[in-house]
This record gives sequence, C-alpha cells and structure tokens, in this order.
Amino acid sequence: MRIGVTVLATVVGLAAGGLAACGLPDGEYFGVVPEVRDPRHLRWCNNGQPEGLDPAAVSSTTATPLVHAMFDGLTRYGNDGYPEASLATSWDISPDRRRVTFHMHDKGRWSNGRPVTAHDIAYHVVRMLHPLTASPSADHLDWMKGYDLYIERRGAVLPGAAGGLPAGTIVEITGWSGKSLAEHKQAKASLPDPNQRRAKAPLALRELGAAPGAAYATVPPETNVTLIEISGRPASIDNPDGQPWAYVHWNRGDGIFGWVPLAELDGLPNGEVRYRVKPVARNQIPGLDLPLDELAADAKLERAEVEVTGKDLVALPEVLGVRAPDPYTLVVEAVGPAPQIIETSASRALRPTPREAVSRSPRRWAQPGTIVTSGPLHLVDMRERDYLELVRSPTYWQPEDVKLDRLTVYSMDDQAASTNTYFTGRCDAIRGSNVPTSYLPVLSGDKRGGKPYADYTVRPWLGVYFILVNTKQYDNVHLRRALAFSLDRDLIPRVLHGNEYGVASYTPGTPIAELDDADLAACGVTRDQRGVALVIEPGALCYVPPPGLEYDPERARQELALARKEMGARFPRTIVYKFNTGVESHKLVAEYVQAQWKSVLGIDVTLESQEWQVFLADTRKQQFQTARLGWIASGSEPYSQFARNWRCTSPNNRPKWCHPEYEAILDEVVGMTDPRARLRRLADAEKVMIEEAPIIPLYNYTQKHLQKPYVRDLHINFIDQPPLWRAWLDPDWKREK
Amino acid sequence: MLRLVVTRLLGGVFVLFVVATVSFFLLRAAPGGPFASERVVPEAVQRNIEERYHLNDPLWQQYVTHLSRMATLDFGHSMKRQRTVNEMIADHAPHSLRLGLMAIVFAALFGTVLGVTAAAKRNSATDYTLMVVALLGISIPSFVLGPMFIRWFSLDLGWFPPARAEGFEGYVLPALVLGMIYAGTVARLARAGVLDTMSQDYVRTARAKGLAERVVVWKHALRLGVIPVITYLGPATAALISGSFVIEKIFQIPGLGYYFVDSVVSRDYPVLTGLLVFYVAFLVVLNLVVDILYGVIDPRTRDAR
Repeated sequence: MRIGVTVLATVVGLAAGGLAACGLPDGEYFGVVPEVRDPRHLRWCNNGQPEGLDPAAVSSTTATPLVHAMFDGLTRYGNDGYPEASLATSWDISPDRRRVTFHMHDKGRWSNGRPVTAHDIAYHVVRMLHPLTASPSADHLDWMKGYDLYIERRGAVLPGAAGGLPAGTIVEITGWSGKSLAEHKQAKASLPDPNQRRAKAPLALRELGAAPGAAYATVPPETNVTLIEISGRPASIDNPDGQPWAYVHWNRGDGIFGWVPLAELDGLPNGEVRYRVKPVARNQIPGLDLPLDELAADAKLERAEVEVTGKDLVALPEVLGVRAPDPYTLVVEAVGPAPQIIETSASRALRPTPREAVSRSPRRWAQPGTIVTSGPLHLVDMRERDYLELVRSPTYWQPEDVKLDRLTVYSMDDQAASTNTYFTGRCDAIRGSNVPTSYLPVLSGDKRGGKPYADYTVRPWLGVYFILVNTKQYDNVHLRRALAFSLDRDLIPRVLHGNEYGVASYTPGTPIAELDDADLAACGVTRDQRGVALVIEPGALCYVPPPGLEYDPERARQELALARKEMGARFPRTIVYKFNTGVESHKLVAEYVQAQWKSVLGIDVTLESQEWQVFLADTRKQQFQTARLGWIASGSEPYSQFARNWRCTSPNNRPKWCHPEYEAILDEVVGMTDPRARLRRLADAEKVMIEEAPIIPLYNYTQKHLQKPYVRDLHINFIDQPPLWRAWLDPDWKREK
Repeated sequence: MLRLVVTRLLGGVFVLFVVATVSFFLLRAAPGGPFASERVVPEAVQRNIEERYHLNDPLWQQYVTHLSRMATLDFGHSMKRQRTVNEMIADHAPHSLRLGLMAIVFAALFGTVLGVTAAAKRNSATDYTLMVVALLGISIPSFVLGPMFIRWFSLDLGWFPPARAEGFEGYVLPALVLGMIYAGTVARLARAGVLDTMSQDYVRTARAKGLAERVVVWKHALRLGVIPVITYLGPATAALISGSFVIEKIFQIPGLGYYFVDSVVSRDYPVLTGLLVFYVAFLVVLNLVVDILYGVIDPRTRDAR
C-alpha cells in the first residue's frame, strides 16, 4: 500500500508542478547568464554539421564561416560583411573592369610554416574548376576567362604548333573521330580525355622537385593517370630543377595527386585520337588586351575548325584567366566587365588551399591531424554531429586581430535544441537562422507586453523570399499580376514574428529607414521612403530596386477579370502552392498566401509540402504551379547575385520565364563599365521583370540573433559571415551597465 | 548448454546471411540510385564514382564482393560521406549504446517495480492507478514527452542539459523518455507474469512455510514472473542500442539512429547494409542471452532443451 501511495503521489505531484511551470521566463535576458569562466573561449551553437571544411567542397551557411576562419584569403569579410584587405595589401582594377591585379604581402603562413603565395591561389582556382573536384561553388568564378570550357573539359592548349595553329594557341574541342560533340552526345559517347597518360615504369608520386625516395604513393606501370598541370608553363609554378614536372591524379580509392617529372610519362592512351578544335574568341585569351567593342565584334566571328591528334593537345590551367607572375602577385581576368571580382576575392572560391595536404588525401585532408590552415583559427578536434574545436593558430600573420584562444562549435541541426542549449547557458551565442519560429513571439516580447529580451536582436539578412509562378502553365501575365497585387506584405511580420521586412520589390537590401546618412546620400533616398536599398560599397555605391506590385485589391481583381477573359477555359479552378518541410515558417507563409488569394481573388489554393531534396528536384523540372523559394546572397553585386537568375538560360530560372527585352537590357549591362550607369540599366531590367511577375517577392529575410550579454565583438552582418576570431567574453559586463 | 549456444550462433550466422542478401537486392530494386540528384555530375566524376563503387560490375559480382566484405566485417565506404561505415559505427554506436543501456535499466527497474506492486495489490486502487500510469507511458509519444521533460527538468528547474548528452546527467532525460515506453510494457508484462506465478504451487508452499508476503512476492514470485519481461527486453535492447531516431533528434545526440533513416533516404547502400547487419548481429546475440537467462532463472528449462 505504501509503495503504491508514494508512486501515486509522485506522479500527481509532478503533473501539478508541470502545469504550474507554464509561465514564461522572466528577467531581462533569455535564460541563464552564467559566469564567464574563460574570456577567450567562445561556445557557439551552429545550425548543423558542416558538410566539410574544404573551401572547394562547401557551400552551406553552416560551413562557410568556419572555412573563412581557417583559410585566409586575398580579402576577408569584415565586421560589416564587406571585403577588407587581408593577404592582399592592394589591388589594381583595369578601367574596363576585366582585370584585377592583387598585390600580396609575404607574411601569410600555412600552419606547417610554409608561406602562402599567389601560386597557392592559382592552384586552388584550378582545383575549384576541375571536374574531378565537382565543387558546388565553382560558379563563383563563372566570370573568369576559360571558365565555360575548362569546367566541361573542352578547353585545351596546343603546346606545340599543330593543325596550322601556332604553339600556345588556346582552343575549344568541338568534336572527335570525324563527328561533332553533339553527334557523339546523341550516341551517348563521352569525350576521350586528351590528358590521360601512363608510364612503362612505376610512377613515384611526390612533392615538386623531391627525390623518388620521398614518394608517398607509387602508381603501378601501365596504369592511367590524369594530367592536371605542367610546371614551367604560364599559370603554373616554375620548374624546380630546370626540367618540367607534371602534376597528375591517380584514380585509386579516393584518388591521390602528386608530382612526377614530365619525361616519365611516356604513354598517351588517347594520343592517336583525331580531335576537331578551333581557336577561342579573343576575349577568352588571358593576357590579351583589346578595347571592349573590338572584343565584342571578335566574339561573333566564325573560326575555322582544324584537326589535331591527342598528342598535340592538353587541357592545362593556362586556358583560365588566372596568373601568378611572381609569388606575391595574382592577376585574374574576366571575359567581360566584372564588378563582382573584388567581393569574390573574399569568397571560398579564391581562398588558397594547401596542395601538399590535398594531394595526399583529396577528400579527407580537412580533418584534425591532417588539416593545414592559414587563417586565424586552426582545427584540433571534430566529432560528427557533435562539435568542432578550433584554437588560435600559432602561425597566423596578424595575431593582434585574434581575440579568441578557443572556439567550440556545437553542431545542432535541431532549432529547438539549439535555442534551449543557449537558454540553459551552455552556449554563448547562437546562429541567426537557428531559432524556431514558435519562439519568436516570446523573444520579441509580444507575449509579455512588448518587453523583448535584451540579448535578442533582429538584423537584416541579404536574402529575399518569393513565390515562383510556373510561366509555362500560367502564361497569362494578368493572372500572375493579379496574384501579386492580392498579397498584403505588411501582414507578414505578424505571421512570422521575426520582424521580416515585407517587400514587393525583388533585389533585397537594408530597409531604407535603417540606413545611415552616408548611405542615404549614396542611394539617393530619404529616410521616410518605403522599401529597401542594397548598399554595394558603404557610402559610395548603392542600388535601389524598382518598386514591385504592391498590395492593391482593386487592381488585383481588375487583372483577374482580364485574365479570366483571355484565358477562357484554361483559367485555373484551383492553384497548387508547394513548399518544403523542415522549416516552420514555410507552412505559416503558405497558409497566409492561401488565405489572401482566397479572400481577395476568390481562388481556392491547395497546399502541398515536400521534403527539401524532392522539392528542389521537382521545382527544377517545372513540376509545380506556384512554389516558395528563398535566395540568400553571398555578396552584394546585384547582377551576378540576383538579376541573372531570371535569364532564359539560367539553371535557377525555375518558372522558365524568358523575355526578350530583359535579355537585351542585361546583355547591355554585362558590357558596361561605368558602375552607376550599369546600376541604372539594371534597374530598368528589374522593372521589366517585376511587372511580368514570374516571381512574386514577399519579404526580405532577417537574422534572429541571441548572444549572451558578456559576448563582445561578435559582429552580425547582412551576409551572415561573422569574423568569429574577433569575439571575446567580458567578465566585467555587469559593471559596465 | 553448450549445444544451445552453438546452435543459436550458427542460426544467427544464417540469419545474418539472409539479411545481407535480402537488403542487397531490395535496395537495388528501389527506384533512384545513390547519385540521382538534381545536380548534373560531370562525366569524369560520374565515371570515377562508378568505378569506385563497382556500380557497373555485373550484379552477381557485386553480390559476391558484398558478401565477402560482410564476412570480414568490412562494411565498406559511405557513398555520401567521407567516412567508412566502420568508422561511423565506431564513432556513433557508443552514444546509442549508452543511451540504450540507461533506458533499458530504467525501463526494467521502474517497470518491474510498478508491475509487481500492482500484481501484489491486485484489483485495488493502487493496481488500477499504476496500470494507468503504465498505459500513459506506452501511449504518450516520445516527441510529446521529450519536450515536456526538457521544459520541466531542464529549462525550468535547470537540473539537466536540454541537449547534446554531455556527461552522465546529459543522458538522464533522454533515457527516461526513451525508457518510458518500454517501462509501460514491462509493467504490464511483469504484472501478468507475477500474477501467473502467484498461483503456482511453489508460491503456495512458500506462503505456507510462513514467509512474509513481501518476501514471497519479491523473491519467489518475481523470479519466474519476470520471464516475459526478459523475453520482451531482449529484442527491445537491440532496438534501443541501434538508436532511436526521434529521441536522438529531440535531444541532439549523435547516435546511430539518424543514419538508419538518412541512409535509406539517400540510398547510401554500404551504410544501410552495414547498419542492418550490425543491428541483426546484436539481435542474435541478445536473443542468445535471453535463452541462456531462461536456463539460469528457471531450473525446469535448464536441461530440457
């Protein structure tokens, strides 16, 4: 009896206690604020497990801040998210904006002591674009000369004269064995690789110039390897001993790279294949300078095809617009004017990686023990889906910029678990995208009479959330415009509770009301204006997107009437709206859209949800009527980040919208060098697009940050790339209040 | 006893063989392969991948390679991650094991106490209340109980960490939540088992001899009454040790459960077959343990098998 009563009493007691605890956390801060035990140790709740730490293999917001902290670049993301000089002390931009020369200092060091040189960057560029790497971020470099051909393995150089063309000609492969590439593609035959090599003797893969005894792998005789680079040639490193060396890839297991003397590669498996080639247009030739209009005319010329054999032809890095004329100078060249080069210099696509570590283990080098870093922080421990441990790098060239001695990153992909960990004081700061939507009304203070928590901040995030409309199915522009006019964006912050900035315009930016005076002047707007503005260079260059189709129920109904008349029987009875699972807010937005379209237009909407990967695949194949999508930028150049996605041939153009005027204006834009004129023309193009409504923008993203009050210098910027190494913890934070 | 162990082990090997075979063929029959993604993979990379995973070899050859690898416990390399399956199991199994064992211990102890008490006070208020508690334990889903416990014991009272299972106290909440479901079933099984043994002759003998009721129940009736519990807990332990996906997600524990689900969704053949074989091996061993325990507990079954 006694046991029973005890058990019963415990259960009832727990239940009562639980119900009583249904109140909200009181106090100024959200959760426990523990004592600062180590002012130089930050515990950071990240939004999941990074897919890797190799700059060439990552693309997620989870991995990139860690990669940027471990691998230094020509420039790095500053506190405000704009590039600031790092390894490069200065750079020269050519007047036609097609070439940038970076001047580097010699103080950069890898964690194994070796200096960081321009050759490391050139090597990384080749790695990024080589098909063997299959980098998800290769398109960061798509402005570069030779990019299109190299990435498809169709670009090559003739080291010696052949087919009537002089030595060193850069050519494009257009066919082989008498048939064109298109004909072979129909027959499902793949291009024989002119870079295949083999040797009669074993190949000792080693570092450049090393003795055969120092080999870390040996390729058996008569085994194919792939030639990647030859020393002594343009774009490559000098010959170590007066002799050219070859950097090759051996396809064993995960793959392995190494240098061998070129002379040892005596076999060419595809040496007798007859390739059809033609010289590339002059705007693709690195080092060639011509006025823009001449280049444009030249690009349209038809060039004659000639036939050469496999032994005349090899795909080498020199077809790309990257050169290291000396160890501390890097020159990059673009096909047309490319204002995005400076901001790309901070991205992972141009951050050097260490050849000696990558060569030995191309897929697993970025792990504790084998990783070689050049940035402020170095990786010492990593447990998958658990945590990463980074420490101050002893070899970093600017130690005074580094405040942290230790950074512990918790890989938490569950938003609630992450925020709870912050609440109980077990991590000091949490990633902006890691707070569940259901917590937002509590954090913003809505639930306790408008008293937000002092450690919660909402900041703009450079990204736009919009609805895709399948223009093949809904080919009537009036229908699409009706859908756009019927959405009241002012309701969105109430639906999502995250201070999202509702917009009808497309290119995202900072809300105009939040700009400082210098930026207001640069943008040419006044603080009381609605909308957002994209600051490209603080205080200097700014892009204001044209206004979109703002909420207007009358006009919506007028457009709908027109659409009904024009479409007749094809007018849809219901519209299906698709969204992906995994993020709470998508469902809330879907319900909001459904309610609006029903109440303003009287159209029934069916909601459909799909798992993220399936959703991506389906929308890419136009298997949707309307669907949500978001676009978070990695930089502030509006053409490459935003406008380009709606061009006819863009792979991101899911609505499959194709408009001749939009294409014509953008063709003009890519040839323009004056930054302000370019932005004005870009606005013209965006106006065409927004009026045609292939997409319906809803809001600009915001970042919801939680940081304990003792955390200092953990800067939140609009592209969510905080310089983590500058953060520190202030044990005296209470006294300062 | 020895014959028992040997026959069971041989049977286990046969079961593993069947599992490895069936999973090999079923996976390859499912639509979509490990590399069906919306990304167009360049030719050269595609060729590399196919060579490396022998996806172009004739099926029977792939099967033979697969079996010989399984036999040497080399589960191969993940197709989606830069790790071998053995590494993944070595890294993540300990978390699942710790969690599973704590959950089992809790479930066994708490459930048995609940069930035996209820049986001792059969048809009283105590009995009904305790069985309602047991039913609640079975019925309340872990994704409801988990956040509730996190709210009460972690956020409000601050006794335990809400996630990441750091240190012993980090495993308490997830083990409680995970074990609660099993505890409920154990309670009902224990009650039924003890009720059954209470009517047996030897229990009557014990009572007749003048032993205190408490001793009769908790020492004599319990010993055999617990057999259904053990039968249930054997396979349950295997399930618990291979990881519970939901608990691991709620409490952010880097265990194996996640990979069971993930490898199916992404068609990561080596990981899935490796995990299946791992799980079945555990199952076989635990069933063997259960059988041995029968012999230990119930002298009547000892040499009859």
